[in-house]
Amino acid sequence: MFHPIAWLLWLGAAVLPVMLSQNPLYVGIVCLAAGIVYMVIGRYSPLAQSWSGFLKLGLTIIALTVPFNALSVHAGRLVIFTLPRTWPLVGGPITGEAVIFGASKALSLFTLLLLFAVFNCAVDQARLLRWTPAFLFEAGLVTSIALTFVPQMLRSMQEIYEAQAIRGHRFRGIRDLLPLFVPLLTSGLERAMQLAESMETRGFGGSLQSLSPRREVLVRIAAAVALLGLVGGFFTVTYFREGQTLSWTLLVLSVTALTLVFRIQSQRVRRTRYRHGVWHRQDTVLAAISVGLAVIILLIRSWARVTLSYYPYPPFSPWPPFNPVLGVALTVLVAPAMLAFPQSQMTNDQIQVSND
Amino acid sequence: MIEFENVSYSYAGSEIPVLRNLSLTIPEGDFVLVIGASGAGKSTFLRCLNGLIPHFYGGTLGGQVRVMGCNPAHEGPRKMARHVGFVFQNPEDQFVVETVEDELAFALENYALPQATMRKRIEEVLDQLSIAHLRHRAVSTLSGGEQQRVAIAAVLTLQPQVLVLDEPTSQLDPQAAEEVLDALLKLNRDLGLTIVLSEHRLERVVQYADHVLYLSADGESPVFGEPTEVMIRVPLTPPLVTLGKALGWAPLPLTIKDARRFVRQLQVPDYKLPVEPATSLQQPATSDQQPVTIEAEDVWFSYNGHEALRGVNLVIRAGEFVAVMGRNGSGKTTLLKHLVGLLKPQQGRVVVANHDTRHVSLDEIIARVGYVPQNPNALLFADTVREELDFTRRNHRLPPVDYAPLLRTLSLEALADRYPRDLSVGERQRVALASILVADPEVILLDEPTRGLDYRQKEALTAFLRAQKREARTVVMTTHDVELVANCADRVIILSDGQVVVDGPVRQVMTDSQVFASQVNKLFRDARFLTVEDVLG
Repeated sequence: MFHPIAWLLWLGAAVLPVMLSQNPLYVGIVCLAAGIVYMVIGRYSPLAQSWSGFLKLGLTIIALTVPFNALSVHAGRLVIFTLPRTWPLVGGPITGEAVIFGASKALSLFTLLLLFAVFNCAVDQARLLRWTPAFLFEAGLVTSIALTFVPQMLRSMQEIYEAQAIRGHRFRGIRDLLPLFVPLLTSGLERAMQLAESMETRGFGGSLQSLSPRREVLVRIAAAVALLGLVGGFFTVTYFREGQTLSWTLLVLSVTALTLVFRIQSQRVRRTRYRHGVWHRQDTVLAAISVGLAVIILLIRSWARVTLSYYPYPPFSPWPPFNPVLGVALTVLVAPAMLAFPQSQMTNDQIQVSND
Repeated sequence: MIEFENVSYSYAGSEIPVLRNLSLTIPEGDFVLVIGASGAGKSTFLRCLNGLIPHFYGGTLGGQVRVMGCNPAHEGPRKMARHVGFVFQNPEDQFVVETVEDELAFALENYALPQATMRKRIEEVLDQLSIAHLRHRAVSTLSGGEQQRVAIAAVLTLQPQVLVLDEPTSQLDPQAAEEVLDALLKLNRDLGLTIVLSEHRLERVVQYADHVLYLSADGESPVFGEPTEVMIRVPLTPPLVTLGKALGWAPLPLTIKDARRFVRQLQVPDYKLPVEPATSLQQPATSDQQPVTIEAEDVWFSYNGHEALRGVNLVIRAGEFVAVMGRNGSGKTTLLKHLVGLLKPQQGRVVVANHDTRHVSLDEIIARVGYVPQNPNALLFADTVREELDFTRRNHRLPPVDYAPLLRTLSLEALADRYPRDLSVGERQRVALASILVADPEVILLDEPTRGLDYRQKEALTAFLRAQKREARTVVMTTHDVELVANCADRVIILSDGQVVVDGPVRQVMTDSQVFASQVNKLFRDARFLTVEDVLG
């Protein structure tokens, strides 16, 4: 499989057109591409669920959004039928435009879910977390522990629920939550204590090298100033038309300062990493394709905004426009399926023996 | 080398010391077994070895501890990790990351070892504990025994000279426990690793130990010495040793093999006679005239495609005491859950107290049947033991009663106003029992009631269960504990792969089996002798 970073770029490139355009033709292409990728990586990843579950979800989304949009928006010329106007909210003409718009929204939503499902299947969260900067290692670890806590909590919830049910406990009101909640909380805490002890006995937490007090203070002040600069920069860029150059300079300076602080902090961490993600040639290809597509879409948005826009209600046509160049460009999103590695090369985290 | 010199310790906020003037020396490469009742300070003693006490727990530590030339109280657990590996009771609760290989790397990463070294060390421990085939697996998908071996491997990567384990097998079934103990023995023999282990299933390990440390909860002075020497002096012993002591066997045998010699001298009459059909030896507590309480007819059940029960047939009559045994995953708990109506058969039917579980609500079944789950922690939530009992009575819409007799039989009367979560494992188990029995069910179902209990707690539980039998309650329990079965049950059912493979009177089943036999029965191979009491008369 691909490197988590390559996947992240692919995800970005795929989400971008869905977010920027409601046009069901473009979104449909992205959706198809994602579907193909989902099926192909499903062969490698045990996590990939069956198609039928996802299709059911898609149908549910359509079943919810289409009637909602049709009943609540009464604009458009293609009148299908009319409900009495005296009916609150739903009264009025039910139009083809509203149905089309509802369906295209449902398609966008479904496509986004599918994209994240593909990403979830393809990338192990624990491995993605390993890409957090070294000094944020602890935050990353906390998140990954939390992720493993969830299934355990669910299991003990089930156990507690059964145990109390056989004891005659029935859920009638808020007070009845106590017999379920207290055992869950206490066992969660007990487990957390045990984990803390286990981590302590395996040398966790002693890995931060201390700076001299003076440098420590300096680094903290630098971080605070940089963050303030960032906020100020965004604020002036958004709300003041004049002095844009100054605002941008402030933003660039703040980002540079923050990066520097991150670097210093990361160098303090005395930890090594067992696994180094291996960046294959295929990763470079996928990354280049993704970045290329994102750049094209952003360019179109800046220079030819109309190409992306789609609004079915009058005075526009209810039928979506289609630009074949953009349509073809979007098909490159199937790249992960085409480049997919054979099974043997699957483990991305091959361990390289380095000379250090 | 580990040295304790006049070590005393009391937890923060407590006046009573847990350890009192403990002095001992453990030579390098020793296999030391730490025994004692719950609350005697076993965990405390072990945590002194790597500095978790006082660094993690606070409290006051007096005297000198030296481990491999270091002072753990001074160095702290992080620095001691290179000398002392520490493995905890519940394997699942000590894992930090998801996959086996990453788990093994965790400690090494913390010590910032170069990657090449990490690689080498991980390969080594994978082989030492024979878990190389598990390296890519997620830790949550492993069996208990595999998990505990991974936990051991995860501390061995730092190449400590001492391995400390706090009841590492108490949450495991016998096969998994065997796996873990075998791995430890191998490490001790092949690498000369010093192992300090607390364990309450003495019968498994005592013969391998070089030294035994006995800690007492009642303030008696601790005993440290050769296994036989300590066994003579301590009250909590496996059945074999208890028998040996009672009959004055010397030197005290610790294994069946050693004890056979004494059995020959005993000249048990008719020892060589073939075992008679067990029904004649055991007057069954129930006869066929007793009404049927539980009936399962061709019960099938599967969880997500995995068939847990495959055509189970079962008739249990009022007043019977049935033990359900079998490997982990053989369907024991699934069967028990069917008997209380928590699970409904996908095919076949279960009739409990004349109710078909598919057609009546859970309320109607639990009015007659009490079910004590494996983990008492899933049950206990109230502020006091008394309130736990009130809660059950209220749920069953029963009028309040005097709890004193029930609490007395479970020896909980002194704890009635305590917070249940603060009690020991054994006490919590009994509170869970009380909170089910307070509804006065005709049928009691128990899931692994002895998990995590020491000998004394087991004895108390056994006595209580026998009393239930006398009161003609019907009891069905799943268990791995053959001694408990030998002491209480009338009938044994062995499940394998979701099917009943053995169903018969306990004496017959035990004498026929090599695995499901009590120590005393293994020794005599005679259906008349299952327990120490059977022999002593």
